[in-house]
Amino acid sequence: MKLLVLPILVPMSAAAIMLLAPRRQALHRWIGVAGAFALLASAIVVFDGVERNGIQVLQISGWQAPFGITLVADLLAALLLVAVGIVGVAVTAAAFGGVDPRRETFGYHPLIQILLMGVSGAFLTGDFFNLYVWFEVMLVASFVLMALHRNRAQLEAAYKYVTINLIASSIFLTALGLLYGVTGTLNMADVARVWPAVRSTGMDVVLAVLFVIAFSIKAGLFPLFFWLPASYHTPPAPVGAVFAGLLTKVGVYALIRIFTLLFQGGPAALSTMLLVMSAATMVIGLIAALREHDFRRILSFNLVGHIGYTTASLALMTPAALSGAVFYVLHHIVVITNLFLVSGVLLRLRRSTDLRKLGGLYRGQPAFSFLAMVPIFSLAGVPPLSGFLGKLAILEGTFDAGAFWLGGLVLFVGLLTLLSMGRMWAEAFWQPSAESDRGTPGRPLVLAISGLSLVTLAISAVAGPLLTITLRAARQLIQKDDYIRAVLGSIS
Amino acid sequence: MIPVVLLTFAIAPVAGWLVSRYPRAATVLAAWPALIATLVAAALWAADGARVVELSWVPSLALSLSFNLDAWGLLFALLISSIGALVVLFASGYLRDHPDAGRFYASLFLFMGAMLGVALSDNVLALFVFWELTGFASFLLIGFEHDREDARSAAVQALIVTGAGGLALLAAGVLLIDITGTASLSAMAANRPSIVAHPFYPAVAILTLLAAFTKSAQTPFHFWLPNAMAAPTPVSAYLHSATMVKAGVYLLARTAPMLGATTLWNTVVPIVGAATMILGAYRSIQETDLKRILAYSTVSALGLMTMLIGVGSGAAIAAMLAYLVAHALYKGALFLVAGVIDHETGSRDITRVTGLRRAMPLTAIAGGIAALSMAGVPLTAGFIAKDAAYESLTTGAGWAAWLLAAIVISSIAMGLAGLLSGVLPFQGQKADTDAHEPGARLLIPPLVLAVLSVVAGVAPWILNTPLTAAAGVILNRPEPVTLAVWHGVSPALMLSAVTLIAIGGSYVLRDAIRGRAWLPRAGTEQLYDGTVSAFDNISRVIGPPLHSASLRSYVMVIIVATAAAGFTALSTLPSLVVTAKTDIRIHEFLVVIVIIAGAIAATVAKSTMAAVLSLGVVGYGVAMTFLLYGAPDLAMTQFSVETLTVLIYVLVFRHFRNLGELSPALVRYRDLLIGAATGALIGTLVLSVSTADTAPRLREYFVEFAPTLAHGRNIVNVILVDFRAFDTLGEITVLTTAAIGVRALLRIANAGDDASPTPVSDRTSPIFKTGARLLMPLLLLFAVFLLWRGHDEPGGGFVGGLVAAAAFSLYLIAYGTEPARRALHVKPVTLLGAGLLIALLSGIPAVVRGQPFLTAQWIDHPFHAGTPVLFDVGVFLVVTGVMLMMIFSLAEES
Amino acid sequence: MEVLLAVASGVLYMSGVYLMLRRRLAQLIIGLGLLSNGTNLLIFAAGGLTRAQPPVVPPGADQLVPPYADPVPQALVLTAIVIGFGLLAFSLVLAHRVHATAGTDDVDHVGRER
Repeated sequence: MKLLVLPILVPMSAAAIMLLAPRRQALHRWIGVAGAFALLASAIVVFDGVERNGIQVLQISGWQAPFGITLVADLLAALLLVAVGIVGVAVTAAAFGGVDPRRETFGYHPLIQILLMGVSGAFLTGDFFNLYVWFEVMLVASFVLMALHRNRAQLEAAYKYVTINLIASSIFLTALGLLYGVTGTLNMADVARVWPAVRSTGMDVVLAVLFVIAFSIKAGLFPLFFWLPASYHTPPAPVGAVFAGLLTKVGVYALIRIFTLLFQGGPAALSTMLLVMSAATMVIGLIAALREHDFRRILSFNLVGHIGYTTASLALMTPAALSGAVFYVLHHIVVITNLFLVSGVLLRLRRSTDLRKLGGLYRGQPAFSFLAMVPIFSLAGVPPLSGFLGKLAILEGTFDAGAFWLGGLVLFVGLLTLLSMGRMWAEAFWQPSAESDRGTPGRPLVLAISGLSLVTLAISAVAGPLLTITLRAARQLIQKDDYIRAVLGSIS
Repeated sequence: MIPVVLLTFAIAPVAGWLVSRYPRAATVLAAWPALIATLVAAALWAADGARVVELSWVPSLALSLSFNLDAWGLLFALLISSIGALVVLFASGYLRDHPDAGRFYASLFLFMGAMLGVALSDNVLALFVFWELTGFASFLLIGFEHDREDARSAAVQALIVTGAGGLALLAAGVLLIDITGTASLSAMAANRPSIVAHPFYPAVAILTLLAAFTKSAQTPFHFWLPNAMAAPTPVSAYLHSATMVKAGVYLLARTAPMLGATTLWNTVVPIVGAATMILGAYRSIQETDLKRILAYSTVSALGLMTMLIGVGSGAAIAAMLAYLVAHALYKGALFLVAGVIDHETGSRDITRVTGLRRAMPLTAIAGGIAALSMAGVPLTAGFIAKDAAYESLTTGAGWAAWLLAAIVISSIAMGLAGLLSGVLPFQGQKADTDAHEPGARLLIPPLVLAVLSVVAGVAPWILNTPLTAAAGVILNRPEPVTLAVWHGVSPALMLSAVTLIAIGGSYVLRDAIRGRAWLPRAGTEQLYDGTVSAFDNISRVIGPPLHSASLRSYVMVIIVATAAAGFTALSTLPSLVVTAKTDIRIHEFLVVIVIIAGAIAATVAKSTMAAVLSLGVVGYGVAMTFLLYGAPDLAMTQFSVETLTVLIYVLVFRHFRNLGELSPALVRYRDLLIGAATGALIGTLVLSVSTADTAPRLREYFVEFAPTLAHGRNIVNVILVDFRAFDTLGEITVLTTAAIGVRALLRIANAGDDASPTPVSDRTSPIFKTGARLLMPLLLLFAVFLLWRGHDEPGGGFVGGLVAAAAFSLYLIAYGTEPARRALHVKPVTLLGAGLLIALLSGIPAVVRGQPFLTAQWIDHPFHAGTPVLFDVGVFLVVTGVMLMMIFSLAEES
Repeated sequence: MEVLLAVASGVLYMSGVYLMLRRRLAQLIIGLGLLSNGTNLLIFAAGGLTRAQPPVVPPGADQLVPPYADPVPQALVLTAIVIGFGLLAFSLVLAHRVHATAGTDDVDHVGRER
């Protein structure tokens, strides 16, 4: 499919154009939104193509795989791209009201586009080294966005973020070098094709371990996730939103890709490792969230905890479990982006996201509070919102795979989330406060939040067809020979 | 009927908006539940069997909105809708001037819809959906007066306790679906043998019981209910006495056909029910707050119903059903009366409120009748129910006697409680208060309920039809229910008489009885609080280290984890065969020594300069290695990048002090160990991988097709701008972003915004200036030359860009930043944008011709050129722009 | 010779890791620089070492005749070097800014919640 490259080209062009007219901030905002809409549109086109005709492939530069770089869109990638588009639109729209004007002049808008470009590239590429390149694009854009600050706390948080992610990149690159040395190829499908031979030498475990660690750092799994709660609470709301919504999901995506393409049928130790890390992430993340004072910190811990749901289901590697994982990722992207945007409103209202400085929000801003209920309680799993459906899908997946203890853990963590959100609601929205509002929510932010809340509600409404698609996606992932065949033409 | 029920959810926001705009409209809202009640009653008394209505939602998860209109569901629905109508009417008076009334009705209707969903659901997962929704609505309603701390904490507590039970229900539901292959409750009821025999049965049963016990406030989960009295009285009357708390009982009866009549069920359920019954009754007579008296007595009533379901005989079920109706009528009335008393006198304390019968005679009548019904005085519904309950237990197995004793004792206490709440406030001396009879909206609902209590007490056969049908559903066999006022003299009748006498006596002696603490004071609420605090404490302990510890600890964890995992993986290798492919030559050996020496020097250096220079040495050593192994392009790039890196390091690190060691020796050794382990791991891996043969497929392809199809002799460059141009596209984006970041960081530091930079003036000698002026165009020419020849010889856009940037940097050193900027004629950022666009656009001609993006297009006349060269031009511009942006920013930073 | 390069990479990783665990900001960055070099060396070596002609077709010739150096790791390393440079430059400036605002270059005092 020729259009497969659009989700990458569109944001890149937008960024380049912005760089050619660096002082026109107003223009940048509009180009940003236009670019995001175009990205969403191209993602929908790609999704339609994949849904109808199966895995879509584009050999960039016209050289056949595995010699050139291939772009591959299966259902998983297509679904994720649509999510990227939605997040992109929400965040660029929110930027109209949520960004410090001084930051804007330093390249905020092109940086967001570059970040979206990196994420799209990561989801679409079929080449491991190219994946590294898109990871770096995404990361360096996030570095700069994170560091566009003056004050000490924010710079220091940026510093931790940068250092740990650089280490992760080093581990990834190390693994890549070894991968080429062992297999002689970088194309994902080709590596999958020759992997059985690698497995017989025993080197697969070493490579696997390095890749899993590198991706787990990015995804935010225990014990490698410290960078996230240490830094995600500092950048401005739209930035935090796009980070939380997309960056960790790229790590999850990479894990899904290598586990389904390479590690199926391999040593059980790998799945066990992932399972244990995920379970630990779930529990530790949610317990840590309980006594945090800062809204964004609470969100960060919830973010990592819920990532654990998806990677644990991945480790089970059954269609039902994987389908639940994919659905949950989609739901989670929308909800967590929305919640960080909500934090943006809190910042505008009270100049702080510390729960002790909030309070009385329901009284002061009833309409906004009502709106905020959707993402807050969707995260908590209150039916019929998307969070409940996601948890149900994961629960059924775990029971179906016989992992009842995991199902119980899912429910327990769900209860903790309910406690966390219920308390947070009582403290931030219900509890009367001496503080008064020092600003308004701002229409762009509210618009973005409404849009995302609508998407959450829509996910609930069309959950039936959506889960049918995720089930297909899961089957497609497990049936990796189809992927190999689509890229290389044959599996031998 | 189903659409009407579902419409309730849509009505909720409408009701909320309506009332906030037109407060008077609240009364009208009562019409909606009244409508539902009528429809339900019609269906119930028609008793024409069950019907299942299905709306698909998520088939792949077995979740569909299917509804079963059988008698049991309809009976419960009738309760919900009729009492709902009365409560809405009452609330319209109670909350008449409340500013948040709109929100109240929205939540209430949400609750109503969800509760009806619970009653009528056939799909077990849909049941969960509605179940949790009632919990959520209850959360909102308990916390309605959210300015009060007790309301907020009670709301959260209820949410969690019932939420936990709800999740248990979810688990049970999924298990049941696994066992029976269907999610339909009615189908499961027909499938009992396979469920009960299944190894999962105990888990399913216990989970279901957990759900029911938490929702219906059974021991040990009862504590949330009295705390929930922080809600406005209409809410307490509706949710926490008539409907939501009965959901647990409903669930028990609903699942009895498939889960009941086993040893587990018949042991646990009656015991829990009986214990709750006694506990609740005891606590209720100890309280002084009207609502808490009623709350605890509700707990007791729920216990009684639970107990009867646990007994499970036909008579017990019939009694339970009768009790369900009777309790709803009298407890609802009593709660509403309590609300009236609160509304009129401002107090709910029975020690303070007395003598109201003159002030509000009709209310007193309602309260009195309800109290009598609760006590079980003949000609009230309460008597019918109590009689039926006694009857069911007098004819039973041995242990039924114990249950009978329990029920008698608690009935006595309950009767007392009823009198305390419904009679005491009206009797005695008139208190000093200007209370008066409330308006119609507050008066009619309790009166209606009281009157219905009498009606049902006098003509109980009215209920025979619906109760028979409901009992039939629960027991899964026909069970005719015949309620009558007079059964003839029986042990049950005697017990009733005894109970009444005891109640009367205890009322007279009430002060003495209530003064004594008969049972210990401990409660399970402490257990709940303790558990939650435990989690909080763990959170407090683990939270801060997870995000605020030193960066080094995080780095260490990651590295140690990687090294450990790597070594473990390495140990699984069957064998490690290594045969070196190339021999060792002296000059290469020396280069490696240089690298190692540089690394060590950088490690132990005491000044930043020394460390940076050592790093440079390492970099040059690596570049030499590249050169020695046939990688000239790579060597060139490495040399130039390393030089630039060192330069930037020097510029930045002049602000840093020396590098004295800060950590103690032990820590240093530990870190050395970690480093050594990592190094050993990597070394082993490199050795094993480099000596093994790498498949030649890729390189052979590139070597073959680069000169031919790709028209380039420098194969590495061809890979970078043609075969794997997409990588390079990303690479220049990374560079661009990094440059933007460097500039931003430095600019923000200086001016805080993007104002004009501070120019750096020149301070160099004229000779240098002249030399720079001459050299610059030469360098630029050389840069372009490198760019042009890159496709066929070592060179290319990247190195060319570096040289171009060097040219301008030279000018900068000689003349200062302003002249250098002028010499450039454009801003560096423009170079970036232009470079990116050109690189991007170089891929478009392919698309125009129907080929994949970035496919090289070549022309032969007028000269041999192709899009990859254009791509390289883009790279060139970006690299130049990146370097200059960084250098200008760094130069202007001081 | 593979042995020597393996040792070299190992030493680079070792010193890089060691420096990254030190308490001074500058050392952390230098450690990253060493690590980066080590990784590049690793990629280069992993593809196999050939002391042969560079992968450039001689002028006039049609094809490159083996033995030649593998161009693929070279291309990869080149990209990695460039990307690494960008990241390193940024990290340097970031460290500089952190040092300036924090007033200390002790990593342990960076980011402590007050």
